[in-house]
Amino acid sequence: MSLPILPTTVVGSYSMPGWLERLKTEYFARRISRHELDEIHDTVVKAAIKDQEIAGLDIVSDGELRRDNMIDYFVERLPGVQIDRSSKKFYYDFYDCEVVGKIPMAPLGLVNDFRFLRENTEREAKICITGPHSLTKRIRNKHYPSEEALATDIARVLNMEMKELVKAGARFIQIDEPYYSGFPEDFSWGVEVLNTLVEGVNATVAVHICYGNRYGKPSWAGNYRYLFPAILKAKVQQLSLEFARRGGEDLELFREFSVPFEVGVGVIDVKAEEVETPEIVAARIRKAAQFVPPERMIVLPDCGLFHLPRDVAFAKLRAMVQGARIVRKELGH
Amino acid sequence: MILHVNHTRRDSAVPTTSEVVETLLGLLEEGTLEPTQYARIQVHLDWIQYRHNFREPVSVTRVPGCRDDNAVPLEIRIDGRQAAPGSLRELVRGALKPIAPEVVPGPGRIHLEDFCSFRRSVAWEFNRLYWSRLKDWEQATGRDYEKALPGGQSDAHHPQSITDSVGDFWTLLKDLQSRNQLPEEVFVLEMGVGTGTRAGMWLDRFLALDQQRETKFYPRLRFLLGDYSLATLERSRAAVKNHLDQCSFIALDALDPIRTLSFLRHKILHVHSSNMYDNLPDEEIERRDGRIFWVQVRAYLPTAEAARIGEACDVPVSQIAKTVNRLLDVGPECLPDHSRGVQFWQEIWAALRLEERMVAVEDLQDSPFPAALNSAQLDDILSEAPSDLRFQLSSGALESFRNTLPLLHPRGYLQVQDIFVTDLNEYSMGFHGPGKLEGSIVNWVNGALLREVAERAGYDLHFAPFPYRPGSRTSVLYTTQRE
Repeated sequence: MSLPILPTTVVGSYSMPGWLERLKTEYFARRISRHELDEIHDTVVKAAIKDQEIAGLDIVSDGELRRDNMIDYFVERLPGVQIDRSSKKFYYDFYDCEVVGKIPMAPLGLVNDFRFLRENTEREAKICITGPHSLTKRIRNKHYPSEEALATDIARVLNMEMKELVKAGARFIQIDEPYYSGFPEDFSWGVEVLNTLVEGVNATVAVHICYGNRYGKPSWAGNYRYLFPAILKAKVQQLSLEFARRGGEDLELFREFSVPFEVGVGVIDVKAEEVETPEIVAARIRKAAQFVPPERMIVLPDCGLFHLPRDVAFAKLRAMVQGARIVRKELGH
Repeated sequence: MILHVNHTRRDSAVPTTSEVVETLLGLLEEGTLEPTQYARIQVHLDWIQYRHNFREPVSVTRVPGCRDDNAVPLEIRIDGRQAAPGSLRELVRGALKPIAPEVVPGPGRIHLEDFCSFRRSVAWEFNRLYWSRLKDWEQATGRDYEKALPGGQSDAHHPQSITDSVGDFWTLLKDLQSRNQLPEEVFVLEMGVGTGTRAGMWLDRFLALDQQRETKFYPRLRFLLGDYSLATLERSRAAVKNHLDQCSFIALDALDPIRTLSFLRHKILHVHSSNMYDNLPDEEIERRDGRIFWVQVRAYLPTAEAARIGEACDVPVSQIAKTVNRLLDVGPECLPDHSRGVQFWQEIWAALRLEERMVAVEDLQDSPFPAALNSAQLDDILSEAPSDLRFQLSSGALESFRNTLPLLHPRGYLQVQDIFVTDLNEYSMGFHGPGKLEGSIVNWVNGALLREVAERAGYDLHFAPFPYRPGSRTSVLYTTQRE
């Protein structure tokens, strides 16, 4: 399946309806069963895929609607991580969790999620994985001598899972690492962990780094300069960053540094409900094209659409696709 | 019968529980109350906090939903400050008759509106008039409105409180600077500026601290003074006259600041307000016997009071309602003589009362809650609340809060000095408002609901007592990032 120039995709999550939030919380209150929740998840994932297809995306995800949040879905699956299951009242809260021994190698079960996605779309499919640095920041470390050591072991487990995903047919895998923006001082060792994570993974691997999107608001401030030049050593194929909300000032970095990967340019602000017009999206793409060649650019939102109402999320995706088409046409495609 | 004794201190002015029971037994014996009705009465003794409020000394409300008129459950509320000992029997008897289908009105009332949610009531039009014509009111009373506050001054102006606030903010800026994250422009927003005194004192101290520590933060400072009243904004200008280059005066809707300030989304490092939430439109909800009710109100003037005011101000009683409407449209100029217009305004406000009815909420999911709140959140919070409960929804405060949070920078914080109910159980110890403070409405704010809304918006909410003035009822709400 070949992709057009300026391919469009999501960062991962799609709009989480309020009624689904309530049902997830009902599950935590033991008022609905796991089986019922699984059926609900299958249904809403199909709907999310369909919305992305109708919006016209080239690469779709499962909307991450099975996930309570980007952390818990993984710590629940990571062997050796102990979770206090009484520690959250609302499904979206984070669990309190800790690691008290070496994390053993074991499958995480993401392959099932990918297979379900693959079976329900003809489009290119992408699956997202929360990266080892972000997970390390949420797991209380009672065993490893350093955060780097914990992150490295998590990376080994995730690396095995990514290889399983590739075996199952995954061609696009995204690693989400927003916590680097909150702890830029970690990035010096973070790149090595990233490379452990992607070693031998035969797929197009993207790393997504934003300023946080928890509760639909930024968690941190600053700029992307902290990524450079260390990021240049990352053995990934794509780097996906947030530009729509923050403006394009950091695009200058791509003039300053010659990056060896494709760049995912965030052209949709996911922290505001105002829907961009296709013209605004096109203008953002054109601006980015002054710094990143269009043939090496991916068009996507700043981050996941989780916190936006469904109608807004859908309208934003549609505007993004239309904006990309405008620029493709200008480029003669 | 259930008797809720809400007060927690002895007060000789408040009718005793035995007087209440004796009164109701007497009414039962004389046939004014049916036995089935008597059995289901709930009496709230001394439930209102403010001396100047919108209630009669005794008010009676029917709880809807009962087909048998003789068995309709009643709620009797006794305002201990108005109901003098010895007068209770006559007051209750008067409030009980004549019994209308949904409410028990007293005789001789001039209604100013139909039943509606309190937040839609004409009472808030009076509140708006007060803030837009504050100078007229103050000239007539010869008293600055702050003099009417408990203690005669606003806690917002306490020097040490402001010094500490500035110190905390400076520390934040220093930390941001150390992380190379200090924005070029440092935005601070004061909402509901009052006289501007606090803003002026804050800026004076910030400048002094910045100069003392040679940090050069002051030139980056953009201090926004926001208020919906242009007159108030204009008046505040004098208080910040030494910092005008740093200040912007912005007319904004306190309920929806993000609408005016959307260009500052995620950019403001500190938002502060004091005694603003307690003056935003509100509505009330009651849970009784497991059912939820909206409390609707209807503003009225006692006819006798209206006649007295009409005579004093040369307005025929038949024209009172119309003249009140005109007052709310054009202000004291509703009468040819300005000073008489102000007198009319002040006397009508003093006489203004609200009668109430309860309207069952048939479906919580479809109820018109303020935008910040949904039925699931309300369900959550009520699951841990007392079973029979009347509480403020604090709709205006919730909306303002919800629509302020998106302005905050990732490291930014909101501080609100106000009067909060921080736990729904506190409503069992008296219902905190609404009251009248000069020409404005004052109302405690439901902090428990604010906390719930904050959590879903990504903030933890904390309430600290205001430590700078002994006996102060003010609390300080502040936000921290929720992980």
